[in-house]
This record gives sequence, structure tokens and C-alpha cells, in this order.
Amino acid sequence: MDAPALAVNTELAAALSLGGGRRRGFRWGRLLLIVAALAFLAAFLLLPLLVVFAQALSKGVSVYLAAVSDPVAWAAIKLTLLVAAIAVPMNLVFGVAAAWAITKFEFRGKSTLITLIDLPFAVSPVIAGLTYVLIFGARGWFGPYLQEHDIHVVFAVPGIVLATVFVTFPFVARELIPVMQALGKDDEETALSLGASGWQTFWQVTLPNIRWGLLYGVLLCNARAMGEFGAVSVVSGHIRGLTNTMPLHVEILYNEYNYAAAFAVASLLALLALLTLAAKSILEWRQPELRNGARLLREKTLRGKP
Amino acid sequence: MSITLRGVTKRFGAFAAVDHIDLDVPSGGLIAMLGPSGCGKTTLLRIIAGLESPDSGQVLFDGRDATLWPIRDRKVGFVFQNYALFRHMTVFENVAFGLKVKSRRERPPAADIRKKVQGLLDLVQLGWAGARYPAQLSGGQKQRVALARALAVDPEVLLLDEPFGALDAQVRHELRRWLRRLHAELKFTSIFVTHDQQEAIEVADTIVVLNRGRIEQTGIPGDVYDVPSSAFVHRFLGQVNELPVKRRDGRSLVGPLDITGEAAAEPRGGDCIALIRPHEIDIGPASVGWPAIIRDVRVIGPIVRVELCAEGQPLHEPLEAEISRERFEEEKFQIGQQVGVRFRRWQIYPSDAATLVS
Repeated sequence: MDAPALAVNTELAAALSLGGGRRRGFRWGRLLLIVAALAFLAAFLLLPLLVVFAQALSKGVSVYLAAVSDPVAWAAIKLTLLVAAIAVPMNLVFGVAAAWAITKFEFRGKSTLITLIDLPFAVSPVIAGLTYVLIFGARGWFGPYLQEHDIHVVFAVPGIVLATVFVTFPFVARELIPVMQALGKDDEETALSLGASGWQTFWQVTLPNIRWGLLYGVLLCNARAMGEFGAVSVVSGHIRGLTNTMPLHVEILYNEYNYAAAFAVASLLALLALLTLAAKSILEWRQPELRNGARLLREKTLRGKP
Repeated sequence: MSITLRGVTKRFGAFAAVDHIDLDVPSGGLIAMLGPSGCGKTTLLRIIAGLESPDSGQVLFDGRDATLWPIRDRKVGFVFQNYALFRHMTVFENVAFGLKVKSRRERPPAADIRKKVQGLLDLVQLGWAGARYPAQLSGGQKQRVALARALAVDPEVLLLDEPFGALDAQVRHELRRWLRRLHAELKFTSIFVTHDQQEAIEVADTIVVLNRGRIEQTGIPGDVYDVPSSAFVHRFLGQVNELPVKRRDGRSLVGPLDITGEAAAEPRGGDCIALIRPHEIDIGPASVGWPAIIRDVRVIGPIVRVELCAEGQPLHEPLEAEISRERFEEEKFQIGQQVGVRFRRWQIYPSDAATLVS
């Protein structure tokens, strides 16, 4: 091998080793970041979850089953599911309508509407609950009228539903607004120009485009609807077997030093949350072209409109 | 279908995006609406499509007032710059969309839909791509799908909003030729919006130049390029050199060159400017014409661009001339060489109007 070729080779080797060194440093950095993230997740998410299940089963399966199948606990579970089943669809419809209006039309008071949607995030849930007591309570604005007609709102299921709807109000709309803003109006306008009706455009074009954002919004909304404590606590009146939701029931059991039963019900609540997440993952995994769509959408959102 | 606009106006707040536009598009025409961004061309296209409603004025389709017709009833195909393909549908489903959303009474049987969609995909040379998703196609392919989708519902008018703006030069050139061919074959009325004068000249039968919501000029591409009606159009359709005109004893002068034309063709009074395209400048021996020094020479394929510093002109405003490669090789022009400049053609405009539009 002659001298120039050798020199080139040495240079090449130096360049390679330099690159290698840099890459090695990068690898360490990456490893460190991953470990830090995992450790954080383990300490703040996984550990509490495990503790919930461990405590729930600490006195054996029979105690667990007894706590869960106790008629009062069962009533709380049913009430929680009922409230979520009413509040989530309501906010689903409202959220889609609000996001649609905000992103596809120009009108006066748009910024006010956006601010109002955020209100439940800004206001303490306890205050939300109190306002419902003040409006619908026995000595509230509509109290006398409601009493006359024998309608129970506060300290009954309607009050709990109202408080839950208020607290979970922003989730769907907040999730959808950026997604729909990034999508723009072109798809809808194309569909209309091809002869589709407004209804067909919504079901066949808009809804598929926003389905992942919508799903996330609904999941968040559902998790909060089932887990809400503050607002519901104020309007519920804590009547056992009648107006106690799962979180309220957990608190009562806990205050009675009945730890195993408290954690048993808590574990059910956690299980419901895990199930919804699992359902979402399976859906996503089953439909690769939709995942593809979601990825594109993310890219589009990051890049901004071309 | 012929399209007529009468006094169409659209305001956004105090800003008139489209300002009293009158336009006749004959049936089967291929029209380019050309103008800088913000000139109102897209708004005008959207008004024709029914995506936007004018504040005043009328839109006539075949002489019938269509101003208030909803977009679905207009038989208009609309193609967006960013394709707007439905990403959750395959290419086939995208093209079939317009047929499948028809009411049960009008909807063709499934077999007919399949045949028609396949035919359209073959027409846009994408017969193989029916099962693909839009994400798996290139930009040019996506735009062809968007065209096939618009054609599926047999529109009588095809409206294209900067259809090739997001594509690279090679694909753009190909698609322009292809659009012309398609138009010649299917004979629908087409209007496309562009800010690219090259595209307008290459594709359209008629060019409508828009500026500030008004029509500056309408004409066939050659006329609009060669006989611009205003300094704005002159500037917008290609490169120009702008030189102030001096008046002396009833003569018009640019530097030492006498450019006095027929009296009728010249604007009277006020300051004037002369606009001269680079290829209208002639470079000769230093003894003839306006003395100048060659500052830069750039060979661009078949033409050569020469930057000239003419006597008495500010240094930062060199003249730009274009000569043929053959002539350049004959004359062997060098940077720093003394030459003489003459104008073969020019056009004179009042300069206050020119500053108004710039």
C-alpha cells in the first residue's frame, strides 16, 4: 500500500473512531434518560397501583370478594357506572359540537366560548358542587319550585350527574379543538363539493379524521367521571347505598379504618381505568391503517398546515 | 357550462378581497387566474365553487343565477393545493366517494361504480394504486387521485386552487402537460388559480391577471405577456428592467436613448417609467447606443444573462439583459468589457400609477 492511500486510511479510521466515540456518549445519554423515565414511572405510577392491589388482597381473597359484593359497595359501583354512562355521552356530543363550531365557523363570542369551556379546569370542583347546591338546594333559587313538584336534584342522582358533567365538561372539546384546527376545512369542503350532505360529511369524513382525538377525550372524560370526588362529595349527601359513588364509598370505608375493603373498592376503580386503556391499545393495534392515519395527523399537527 | 361573474364583491372586514369583478368564462375554456398572494384569486375561485358567498354581485352558470346555490348542486369539482384526500380511505374509496354518497335513487349499482372508478384511475395512470392509502403515495400521485375523485361525479366545471403548488418542478411540469391533455379530451370548463406566471402561460387558453381584488387584464397568454395593459401586469409576467423616462423638447429619453413612440401610445404629462424585458435589450459595440460595462455573465442553459452597468445609472441598479448562447459565443463578451446598449422593445407607463400598484 502506498503512502497517500495509507494517510487517507488513517484519516478515515480517525473519523470513524471519533464518530464511534460520539455515538457511545449518545448511547449513555439515551440509557440514562430511559432509566430516569422508567424509575419515575415506577415510583409514581406503578408502585401506588401495586400498593392498591396488594392492600386490597392483604386480608385474603374472601375479604376482598366480601367487600366488593357488599350491597352498599355494589350500589356505589352501579351509581358510578350510571353517572359515567350519562355524563360521558353528554360531554361527547357537547364536545364535538363545540369543537366543530369553534374550528369550522367564524362567529362573535368565540373566544368567550373557549374560555367558558376551560372554566371547569380553573374552578375548584368543590365550588362547582356548591354552586349546584345554591341553585337547586332546598334554600337555593329553584329550591321551593323543585320541592313543590317533588323533584330531587341535590342529594340525589341528578345532582351527582350535573356535578360530574360540569367537572368533565372540557375534556372532549379540549382534545378535539387542536386536532380539528390542524385538519382544517379542506376535507369537509371537498366532501360537500362531491355532493355529500352535511350529515354524510360528518359521519364519513370528519368523524374518521378525529376518531383518535375523540377516543382520547372520551377516555379522559370517563376516567374523570368515575373518579371525581370533590364536586360529587358536595352534592351527594353521602347517603349509603343511594348517593355514594365509588370514590365516596372508598373514603367512608377508609375513615372507618376498614382498609382492606377501602382498597378493594379502590382496586376496582383502578381496574376500570386499566381496562379502558387496554381497550384503546387493542383498538389501535388492530387497525394499522388508522394508526398510520394518527401518525400522519400528528406529523401534520407538528408541521402546521402546509 | 359557461360561467359569468357580475359585479362580484367580497369583503373581510374593511378589506375588499374581491372588488366588483366582471368575468365571462366560455364553456370549455381553460382559464388561469393569476396574481400575487392576497390578490383575491382564491376567494374568487371559492365564490364560484360556492364555498364562499359574495357580499354583492351575481354568479351565473349557463346564464342562470347560481349565486345562492349550495355547493352540492353546482356540479363543480374542486381540487385543493394540499390534495385533501380522505386519509382513512383507500385510493379507490376516495375516488368512489362522490358516487357512493348519492341518494339511493341516483346511485349507480356497485358494479358500475367499480368500473367507473377503475376507469378514472386508469385515466390518471394510477390503475395499480386502488388499494393503497393516500399516505403511501407521492405528492404528484396524490394530486392525480384528487383529480380523479373530482372527475368521478362528472362535474361540468373543474376548479383548481394552486393545484401544483406543493410539487417539485419536474412533477409540476409533467402534471401541467397532463392537465392540458385531459382538458382537451374531456372538454369541461376549467378555472385554476396560480401565482406562477410560467404555469399560467403554459397551461391556460386565457389568463386573468388579478391585483388587489380587481382584474388588471384578461387575454390570451401571448397578449398578456407581450402587450401588458399596466405596469403591474408587465412586472408580474416575467422579469423587467425599470428605467425613469426624461422628457426633453417633446422627446422621451432613457439615458441617451431616444424611445419616443407614437404620440397616442404615450401617457401624457407626469413622470414616466419605461419597462424593458431582459430579452428586449441588445448588446453591441461600445460606439453604438448607451455606453455600459459588463458586470456579470451567467450562462443558464440556452440563454446567457448579462448584468450591465449603464453610464449615469446607480451602481446597485444594473440592467439585466438576456442573449442567446450562440450570440454570446460569437461575441465573446467578457466581464469589465465596454459595450453599447440598445432597446428593441419597451413600454412606457406613468410612474405614479406604477408606484401605486407595486
